[in-house]
Amino acid sequence: MSQESPFRIYAKPEFQSSSLIVGWAEDAGKLGPKVVDYLNKKLEAQDFGEIEPVDFFSLGGVLVENDVAHFPESKFHHCQAYNLVIFKSSLPRAEWYKFLNLIFDVIEQHCHVKELYTVGGMVSFGAHTAPRELFALANSPEMKEVLSQYDLARDMDYQTPPGQRPTLSSFLLWVAKRRNIAGASLWVPIPFYLVAMEDPQAWKKTLEFLDRRFDLRIDSTDLDEEIGRQNEKMAQLRIRSPEIDSYIRRLESNLSLTEEESERLVKAIEESLGKGD
Amino acid sequence: MGVSLYKEPELEKPVLIAGWPGIGNVGLIAVDTLRGGLRAEEFGEIEPWDFFYPKRIVIRNGELKDLEFPSNKFYFKKTEKRDLIFFIGEEQPTEEGRAYAEGRKAYQMANLVLDVALKLGCQRAYTSGAAVAPIHHTMKPKVWAVPNTEALIDELRGYENTILMSDIEGRKGQGNITGLNGLLLGVAKKRGLEAVCIMGEIPVYLQGLPLPYPKASKSVLEVLTASLGVRIEMEGIIELVERSEREVENLYQRFPLEIREQLDKLKYVTYARPAEPGPITEEDKKRILEDIDKFFKKGPKED
Repeated sequence: MSQESPFRIYAKPEFQSSSLIVGWAEDAGKLGPKVVDYLNKKLEAQDFGEIEPVDFFSLGGVLVENDVAHFPESKFHHCQAYNLVIFKSSLPRAEWYKFLNLIFDVIEQHCHVKELYTVGGMVSFGAHTAPRELFALANSPEMKEVLSQYDLARDMDYQTPPGQRPTLSSFLLWVAKRRNIAGASLWVPIPFYLVAMEDPQAWKKTLEFLDRRFDLRIDSTDLDEEIGRQNEKMAQLRIRSPEIDSYIRRLESNLSLTEEESERLVKAIEESLGKGD
Repeated sequence: MGVSLYKEPELEKPVLIAGWPGIGNVGLIAVDTLRGGLRAEEFGEIEPWDFFYPKRIVIRNGELKDLEFPSNKFYFKKTEKRDLIFFIGEEQPTEEGRAYAEGRKAYQMANLVLDVALKLGCQRAYTSGAAVAPIHHTMKPKVWAVPNTEALIDELRGYENTILMSDIEGRKGQGNITGLNGLLLGVAKKRGLEAVCIMGEIPVYLQGLPLPYPKASKSVLEVLTASLGVRIEMEGIIELVERSEREVENLYQRFPLEIREQLDKLKYVTYARPAEPGPITEEDKKRILEDIDKFFKKGPKED
């Protein structure tokens, strides 16, 4: 039996030099999937290939969520007009190093990618009313220099605490460094009570950077409307529930909540906003 | 997927001693204590990224400085009696959330360790782990030894405080060693290298707790040093055992009285030959083990 290729390419985009944007399908505030889906839609990007799931995902059946069966996907899209390649994938469960290298095998071979950006959300204990910040982590001094032209929080010091593991985006950034591809991970802190929900403000913050970086000139009026609708729902909830309002006020004053209070806040937000899908 | 050797030491018929984490980290503590006690020198590693998810990222001033993976390192030591190679893995390469290595990755790692050992002329390998047994924590743990060839059985019978599978009641010489501590024995056999797994006993009621059990490691260490003909300072591990005994005793006192009463009976149970006459009859013993089994719903096992 012949060895099957771990990826399938069904179109051949022509790039001399391009940039890659990566978002993972499971992410805090749905930031990764929403940002890449939004870009794909607005830029009319086309699918051109995918990584086969067999080595990287448990294929013992399918996951049913919100009444629908899901199957892991790892797809490449291209947008010739802006020299952009967009990759959206479920988080692999095994063979991470092989999977991450496959991404670069495809894009170096077919798209001559020179630059990588990952997008993602991280948990924050602040309130949703605070302006979203965009954090950037570079994998080289050169990329840090590129990022210095933008309004980003880019001077962080961090070390993974015991008991936790780095994110797959950090792993990807490290693999990019080994392959001499400049890269940056972009992170927006998401209020903890929106982590399992949607956070359109965080999506917008990320998209604003990408818009400037690649001169995309995206009309994001629809996103502003979505932010407005969510803010309105949150404001209504605060009026209806003085208890929830008091929790959010405390977060706005940089005070913390107990575990029980945090759980009550998350539950109330979930009931008010729905799961988002 | 490869091995990176910083130097190739010239060794004469070295013995490999390999250790990975497992129940109570019994084997890992024993092997690492021996390595440290002999001041063995690091000479290489297995490149970790094909086997493991990274364990730590280091970011300085907004720039990715390092991504650290679980370590898998080789060490060597030339001693008066024999040359030694150590391999110490910080994690077992697991797949899909399993507790112990199995499948392709585990097989690859076992082969990589043996590639290095055989390249340096290795004549024998030891691995080490835990044997979950119906013993009380106040008792000195015995050591279970499993060779990968019949030719070693007579030698192992001469080790102090050591039993073979056939010495354990009801086992008829059979058992199972999970993870790399067991797999390496099989792969060594396939490649014509004699190997022994040395397992220190851990009380059945401690096996599921996230606690090291250095008392069993000390038993393993005593057997390993004797069989290898090496000596190390034992103060460090004795201190570790004393601290662990206090922790275990504190924990034990928090068990419900009813459970403690059952577990205390383990002090009088002898499940392995040679059995010395004790204060309880065979019938009592059977009943005690059945009672304890009811609490834990598990029989003895190894890792």
